[in-house]
Amino acid sequence: MLATLVRLTGDLQLAEDAVQDATLRALERWPRDGVPAEPRAWLTLTARRRAVDLLRRESARPAKEVLAMPVDDATEPETVRDDQLRLLFTCCHPALAHETQVALALKVLCGLSVDEIAEALVVPPETMAKRLTRARQKIARARIPYRVPADHELPDRLRGVLATVYLLFTEGDDPIGEARPALVDEAVRLTRLLRELMPGEPSVLGLLALELLSDARRDARRDAAGHPVLLADQDRTRWRPDLVGEGIELVGEGLRRSPDVPDPYVVQAAIAACHALAPTWADTDWAAVVSWYDVLLTVAGTPVVALNRAAAVAERDGPAAGLAAVEAVVGLERYPLWHASRAELLTRLGDRAGARRAWDAALALPQEEGRAAQLRRRAEVCRK
Amino acid sequence: MPQYAALIYSRDVDWTRPEFDQETKDYAEFGQAAAAILRGGAALYQTATATTVRVQGGKGGDIVTTDGPYAETKEALTGFYLLECSDLDEAVKVAATIPGAWDGAVEVRPVIDFGG
Repeated sequence: MLATLVRLTGDLQLAEDAVQDATLRALERWPRDGVPAEPRAWLTLTARRRAVDLLRRESARPAKEVLAMPVDDATEPETVRDDQLRLLFTCCHPALAHETQVALALKVLCGLSVDEIAEALVVPPETMAKRLTRARQKIARARIPYRVPADHELPDRLRGVLATVYLLFTEGDDPIGEARPALVDEAVRLTRLLRELMPGEPSVLGLLALELLSDARRDARRDAAGHPVLLADQDRTRWRPDLVGEGIELVGEGLRRSPDVPDPYVVQAAIAACHALAPTWADTDWAAVVSWYDVLLTVAGTPVVALNRAAAVAERDGPAAGLAAVEAVVGLERYPLWHASRAELLTRLGDRAGARRAWDAALALPQEEGRAAQLRRRAEVCRK
Repeated sequence: MPQYAALIYSRDVDWTRPEFDQETKDYAEFGQAAAAILRGGAALYQTATATTVRVQGGKGGDIVTTDGPYAETKEALTGFYLLECSDLDEAVKVAATIPGAWDGAVEVRPVIDFGG
């Protein structure tokens, strides 16, 4: 509804105010008069009237234009979808800072409160409120347009949108910190919207696949005490077969549609698919996983990708080869998981003193308490 | 239609010197290509020619001048345009064709419309 109002008024702040007023009015009226037959249409209409009132009060802007806009189409699923897409591209406009894009998407597309966003993005609420206000002002004053970019601009703009949606997903899908299923569901919903806009776009197929294959593990990722469970130890019967099935199908389509230049999201999803297809950790096709990491390194090479590849090498070729691969990764001396990987491989090689030193190095680095606690548990398991 | 100031930050040099003929030509080409939406603009002499003016004690107070620009930065304000564009996307597209953006930066700022 907010997305529709933004299209009608062309003003994010105004649309937000109008929707909020309409919601308050509904809270007053509906318990007394009963819920209208078409609650959505009622809310949209009420919000539009409110927007017109607000515009008249400002009188600087043409209220007539908003009045003239047809509102009856605003309940058609297609219009709702298009309005949401427009707003998504506005929120992810490259003229806005990346952290602002995510915050704005959470606010206007996912309906989170400022406090909830501040908590999700680990920013003080006052800072977040200021950031959102500045973003709304910039959209209005610099006239960031509300529209889905033209076809020739889409590939460029899509990259930023996908990065923001994926960040939204990972904020909710954090395997160590607090899980926020609402963010995961919103990210998946927005990715599906993008797929409707660009049905054959490999990176959209890949991102959706990656999200579904990761989300399929949601229930298996915590033990009864709420502690995170590593992929190797998860009860795979608790993975959701429907999401695994859809994800694998999407990976296939994504690969078919990107035969020449591998897409980073499709490749990451292919790695997730290797895990999803394996009945157990030991039965994983590690040769395939290592190959996919090799491909990923060519299109989106980072030290962390190299570290993950090294972990797969350890499973394929044994701990000595894995350790050599881990130690060949440069630039992760300040990354606790690099030390943790070394520690676990040293344990498997029987070097208890070396492992202890590596654990100490991992735990001495600054990191979130939840992550440190998990590393301590892993260190404990190694010591036994 | 909204207007945008395109503030050009680039090398702090004397653009009238013959070694910058190519740049001058590039700017002339930009001026022609963007003529339909240009509402004004100017190239500026280097910051060594700048004088910064302050009035101490507010309006009517002592005029204090300093030799040089208001802020010393590596890239200096060397010119500006006033553009009339439908939205930020169009303004950014135009700004990217200003030669100053190719080896410096162009700051695009919306102009306040006081409705006058």
